[in-house]
Amino acid sequence: MIATQPLELRAPLSGVLLALDKVPDPVFASRMIGDGLCIDPTSQTLCAPLAGVISNIQDTGHAVSITDDNGVQVLMHIGLDTVSLAGKGFTRLVEEGQRVEAGQALIEFDADYVALNARSVLTLMLVVSGEPFTPLANGLVELGQPVLQVAPGNRIEEADEEEGDALFSRPLTLPNANGLHARPAAVLAQAAKAFSASIYLHKQTQSANAKSLVAIMALQTVQGDSVQVSAAGEDAEAAIAALVALLTQGCGEAVTTPTAPEQPVLPATLLRGVCASPGAAFGQVFQVAEPVLNITEQGAGQAVEQAALARSLAAATQALQALQDDAVGSAQAEIFRAHQELLEDPTLLEQAHGLLAEGKSAAFAWNRATAATVELFQGLGNALIAERAADLADVGQRVLKLILGIQDSAWDLPERAILIAEQLTPSQTASLDTRKVLGFVTVGGGATSHVAILARALGLPAICGVSPEVLALANARYVLLDADQGTLQLDPDLAQIEQLETARAQQLLRHQRDMAQAGVPAITRDGHHVEVTANVASLPEVEQSLGLGGEGVGLLRSEFLYLDRNRAPSPDEQAATYTAIARALGTERNLVVRTLDVGGDKPLAYVPMDAENNPFLGLRGIRLCLERPQLLREQFRAILASAGFARLHIMLPMVSLLSELHLARRILQEEAATLGLATLPKLGIMIEVPSAALMADVFAPHVDFFSIGTNDLTQYTLAMDRDHPRLASQADSFHPAVLRLIDTTVKAAHAHGKWVGVCGALASEALAVPVLIGLGVDELSVSVPLIPTIKATVRELDLADCQIIARQVLGLEEAAQVREALRMYQAATVETSPVVEL
Amino acid sequence: MFEKLQRAFWKALTPDLVAETVAAPTQNELSAEVLSALGGADNLKSQQRVALTRVRVQLEDAGRLDEAGLRASGIAGVMVLPGGVVHLLTGL
Repeated sequence: MIATQPLELRAPLSGVLLALDKVPDPVFASRMIGDGLCIDPTSQTLCAPLAGVISNIQDTGHAVSITDDNGVQVLMHIGLDTVSLAGKGFTRLVEEGQRVEAGQALIEFDADYVALNARSVLTLMLVVSGEPFTPLANGLVELGQPVLQVAPGNRIEEADEEEGDALFSRPLTLPNANGLHARPAAVLAQAAKAFSASIYLHKQTQSANAKSLVAIMALQTVQGDSVQVSAAGEDAEAAIAALVALLTQGCGEAVTTPTAPEQPVLPATLLRGVCASPGAAFGQVFQVAEPVLNITEQGAGQAVEQAALARSLAAATQALQALQDDAVGSAQAEIFRAHQELLEDPTLLEQAHGLLAEGKSAAFAWNRATAATVELFQGLGNALIAERAADLADVGQRVLKLILGIQDSAWDLPERAILIAEQLTPSQTASLDTRKVLGFVTVGGGATSHVAILARALGLPAICGVSPEVLALANARYVLLDADQGTLQLDPDLAQIEQLETARAQQLLRHQRDMAQAGVPAITRDGHHVEVTANVASLPEVEQSLGLGGEGVGLLRSEFLYLDRNRAPSPDEQAATYTAIARALGTERNLVVRTLDVGGDKPLAYVPMDAENNPFLGLRGIRLCLERPQLLREQFRAILASAGFARLHIMLPMVSLLSELHLARRILQEEAATLGLATLPKLGIMIEVPSAALMADVFAPHVDFFSIGTNDLTQYTLAMDRDHPRLASQADSFHPAVLRLIDTTVKAAHAHGKWVGVCGALASEALAVPVLIGLGVDELSVSVPLIPTIKATVRELDLADCQIIARQVLGLEEAAQVREALRMYQAATVETSPVVEL
Repeated sequence: MFEKLQRAFWKALTPDLVAETVAAPTQNELSAEVLSALGGADNLKSQQRVALTRVRVQLEDAGRLDEAGLRASGIAGVMVLPGGVVHLLTGL
């Protein structure tokens, strides 16, 4: 690789030259990235200093590198700390892989914006491939003027492809706010060069030579990316240890570990997360890591690659079908059906075929197409859709492995395994030997993530949103997972374990007893009857609830009846569904149908709506229905068709204004008149917005009942997202503020002779039952499996005691104190209760 | 454009959260020669040190700018931008 002529690099901008050591940035000044020059620019279009291929251009447009035919690589970096502008003020004029002539415009930037918003406009041009050079200019330079003469042929050889058996590090989560951009990438590459081993950095399916700054930057990492280091050679082990330490510490950048600031007092032996599925377990750590896939970009001919993709897609579809058949009727089966649909997505296939037509390999084309869509999903700012991105990534991996012929080997799980992963995918868990798994801990995901759904279906405890340091725990280390508390205790002592095991045994015993007595009504010891009804979303759930002693339906989530539809169900179809549910209940039981509760946070395919900046404060529930009255009219008509088969109640969600109630009532009256109904069904509202709770005395005369949605009421009262990884533990419905709003609501309703139910998650918590009954709540609508437990809890209580405890907790300061008080009360009642005296 | 509007709105609602960025032209860092090459003190709407190496000035009338005069008075580089904005490259 000896060039015949010395290479002259031209000034990429007009401006004033500055010695590199003067640059107020240690990474550039120390020449860690490479030697070169610095220009304080007076022009705003960065042009190519040499002819070559764009080997990398950052998405943020502030840095670009060119490699010429002799391997000379030149990096240009506009401004200092400009990565923080996230692309604003920069316009990229070229693309990666494009061949450019010397002098060709590469990036346009707004110098005034950069000067006002970044640390500096000082622009660097560095020969990163390491050839020596001599400067040709000084002081003021004009764009295109020769500035450096590069001596050819003396460059540092880059490490060859990884040879022999490579060692892999555990997956790490990048802490750097802007990923591995130029500065941290340089620090990493510099450190890697100190080792003789060949070292690679892996991000999902991509990998980069860790000794090459440009290769690292080309990974385009962002904060939170999961990366791995691999090394092969004599000092591989030491190299991995050193680089892992460096990456965790931010490669010279100040990083804040997400858990550090808010939990300074926690001992390092306790990690916190959000409860995704209740329960507790003692077991040993099993880290779940994905194999690294090698993808070649170039295909072996379009026809061959097309056939390979088609074959793998067909095989994946078949495999998903088999998984569904194995898991008929479960949540798992539903997920795999959704995956099959993703495989047929036309835009995805179109993108992949487009890349195949460009001569790319099937693996590359498929990977690129799915990755792009995953990114799109994640960028929509919607938690639900972002979690579907995980599904797409999963199905993408499945096909990719088929293309590459990689066998999925089943994990060799130890007994009592607690699985720990960045994120668990449906495919990973499908072949799981669930007899050996006791719980799940993930860094990503929330209460609606796949792992949460799976864990609840299996009845195993799970926590999400745990700090990434959990991924560093050694396999086989003993841990105590207490999902109810949202904690993972490392190396627990024997007393803690025994306490937990005893509690579990008691729970089991109690549960069996409660199940046996499910049919017994929920009457307190002093003779007060509390109606315990079910929260349901389908006819099978209604039937199941009756078997478990449910006394009716306190909440039918109508939006769930047609969740998987692309088109609105026909009026007849809707009417048939409501009628079937009403018939199942019979004329002696309540059926409370909540009208469509959808919005930006809960999208419904057949009710398209624009993305909202803040969906929880946007067009949700009744607001959306009144915006599209035809939808509400049709639903009322369908619900009214079931009148007479059960004690029909209609409930409006998210009511915050009286006018919403009046408007909805008028529409209901019109529809009832059209159908010739003499009597209207009962009409009530959900109390889930503080305004409705505070004005309950004004609403009460106009409704037949209230039902309190404690989840939203808590979120709106405390202004905390209940799925927020760090706030979730405080967004607690036991907060006295929430309980006071419930108190206000009940008093107002009873003053007007109306009943009040609670259909939120609080009603399904045994601990909350005494305070809710004490506050005067008439009906508890709970999740189906918990009906026996809640009924049994009611039977152990005295109304008079409950009233006293309720008054007491209203005066407490915070949720934790309320929980503590209720726990003490519970302990007292349980002792005297016949249930545990077995 | 929209962003500016939004920002203005936001600032009006929460004055304590958005820092004032407009630096008042207080102490004059520019020499008499530089000032005169910029068209005189009355031609200067604002001046502000930015980006470590620059003084950003805003001129009433950019036509009165004398680039050669600025260089002669020790300014290493001059960047004339739209809207009467001029960056004077004064170095570190």
